[in-house]
Amino acid sequence: MKKLMHILFLSCLKATELIEKKLHFKLSYTERLQLKVHKMMCDACRMYEKQSDFLEKGIEHQQKADLEEIDIEKLKKEIHLHLHHH
Amino acid sequence: MAKTKNDLSDWVDNYTSDLFSWAKHKVSNSELAADLVQDTFLAAAEKMDGFKGDSTPKTWLFSILNHKIIDHYRKKVNQQIPHENESLSRFFEPEGNWQESRKPKNWYDEEEEHLLDNSDFQVVLKKCLDALPEKWNLCVKLKYLSEKNGEEICQELEISTSNYWQIIHRAKLQLRECVDENWFNN
Repeated sequence: MKKLMHILFLSCLKATELIEKKLHFKLSYTERLQLKVHKMMCDACRMYEKQSDFLEKGIEHQQKADLEEIDIEKLKKEIHLHLHHH
Repeated sequence: MAKTKNDLSDWVDNYTSDLFSWAKHKVSNSELAADLVQDTFLAAAEKMDGFKGDSTPKTWLFSILNHKIIDHYRKKVNQQIPHENESLSRFFEPEGNWQESRKPKNWYDEEEEHLLDNSDFQVVLKKCLDALPEKWNLCVKLKYLSEKNGEEICQELEISTSNYWQIIHRAKLQLRECVDENWFNN
């Protein structure tokens, strides 16, 4: 029983780690179960997951934001100059 | 037939624009993208003898640029960050539970989608992302920059998968707290 408890009960540190890992890698069956059990009991980590998912959308959104344009002709001139001195 | 400096000069005129767009898309930073394109042509000048014409000049230049981009990422990811291990103890008690004062509190006064389109919020989010150590900042963005999955990213950058998601874990904890303080005023 003690062993089972140990397998099922994660700390919040480990739970949030799995919440982040899940966004990039497939969790194992045990990991999915551990996380599910932890979230059933822990309001803070449930909240964390919601906010983490939202931040993830925000990060994706930022990547689509327009970047400052630069003058391509100027860049070409600089490269020509560098090649010349090379 | 040996290629000449004149060929390279033409390539600069013909391909700089495409190379730059690609680099900008991959690193999401105009200045850095311009540097990488410049480095690409300098490398091309040195390797000119090795270009046999098996591929088109454009393909050849893009392959050099892609190497430059991955090199850049690899350097960033392998940076050492001081006090990296202390970053978790700011949030968690020694046995791994949340520090009482750091427990996430409710955020949603506003609709999620509206918030993402809110430019003031985007400014705060950007500031918080930029406040992260460079290596962390890169790791949270890589998924969207490279459009690759975690396994592929780790392979390319030669880091272990556990190292990668542990960096992301630390980065997201700090990012969450920064947004929490600076937007939600918790």
